[in-house]
Amino acid sequence: MNKLQSSLVIVLVLAGLVVGAKAFLAPKKDPVNLQEARAKGDPGAKVKIVEFIDFQCPACAYGVKYLKTFFDQHPNDIYLQVRYFPLTNMHHHAMTSALYSECAARQGKFWALDDLMIPQQAQWAQLISPEPVFQAMAVQAGINIDQLNACLASDDARKVINDEKSLGQSMGISSTPTYFINGKMVVGTKSLQDELKTYFPG
Amino acid sequence: MYTLLRILIGGIFIFSGLGKLLGPYQNFLYVVQAYQLLPSWGEFLTAQIFPWIELLVGVFVFLGMWIPWGLRGAAVLFGIFVVVVGQALIRGLPLENCGCFGGLVHFKPQTVIIMDSAGLLLTYVLLRNLSYVKKFSLDSYFD
Repeated sequence: MNKLQSSLVIVLVLAGLVVGAKAFLAPKKDPVNLQEARAKGDPGAKVKIVEFIDFQCPACAYGVKYLKTFFDQHPNDIYLQVRYFPLTNMHHHAMTSALYSECAARQGKFWALDDLMIPQQAQWAQLISPEPVFQAMAVQAGINIDQLNACLASDDARKVINDEKSLGQSMGISSTPTYFINGKMVVGTKSLQDELKTYFPG
Repeated sequence: MYTLLRILIGGIFIFSGLGKLLGPYQNFLYVVQAYQLLPSWGEFLTAQIFPWIELLVGVFVFLGMWIPWGLRGAAVLFGIFVVVVGQALIRGLPLENCGCFGGLVHFKPQTVIIMDSAGLLLTYVLLRNLSYVKKFSLDSYFD
């Protein structure tokens, strides 16, 4: 076998190995789990969006604002569900903000807190401890503070968050925001906008 | 010494290419979009093709096959990284990490531009010493 033939064999073997490994490691399909506390819209809507976010990620805040506007424009056509994917190695308050969100969700106040937390992200992200700000937001959102603090002190909320992050990782997520639109994965708001245009042209 | 450097540079590109190829391409597409350099179709093509180029260059440099071409390819790749990350820093784009190794390892853009510049320099040194670099390579077997 000469050098050119050997090179071709190397390329083919390499391509085969990578394609095989990709197939073996293929992300699991997202079973749409109706987490009603963190969902809005009609579950039978033609477009189902599952959003994996880190509440401290600036791109996620931009995506949330975009989706909120889009949802308001198409309230009957979209079902939106939020899942946790805190990037704790990059954002110091990723887990704390997710915990507050999960504990708010248990009182049916996820969206009320989300509407306060996301627009003020740039401010609380810079704090050493954002908890006083989150507590004030919780009061403003009408959350029962005793129940909230009991939830924050328990391990249960943290477990839900970690389980959702593990699910996301098993689906190939490595950055946020990542969306699954009718099961198709898109990462970042630009790709989200492009994908939504295929469902809602113009 | 030169052989080890060649294997190291090849290994870096294999690691980098595999890190992107083994995950969903959408993750690398998001990284490419963050640099705000290309039109949408260019971003898509880059996300699909670039990791394969990295892997091929890495494997051939690692194995020592077509070394001069492999090293030139590595130099071009390092040069592209320096320019792309450099322009992002100059423009003040909000990059939290470079996205260079897929989801495997994260480096800040400031760190990675130093690493890529060092890689470019080392590749140049190897290109200037090809006779030493060819030791323990497939080129020395075939040629």
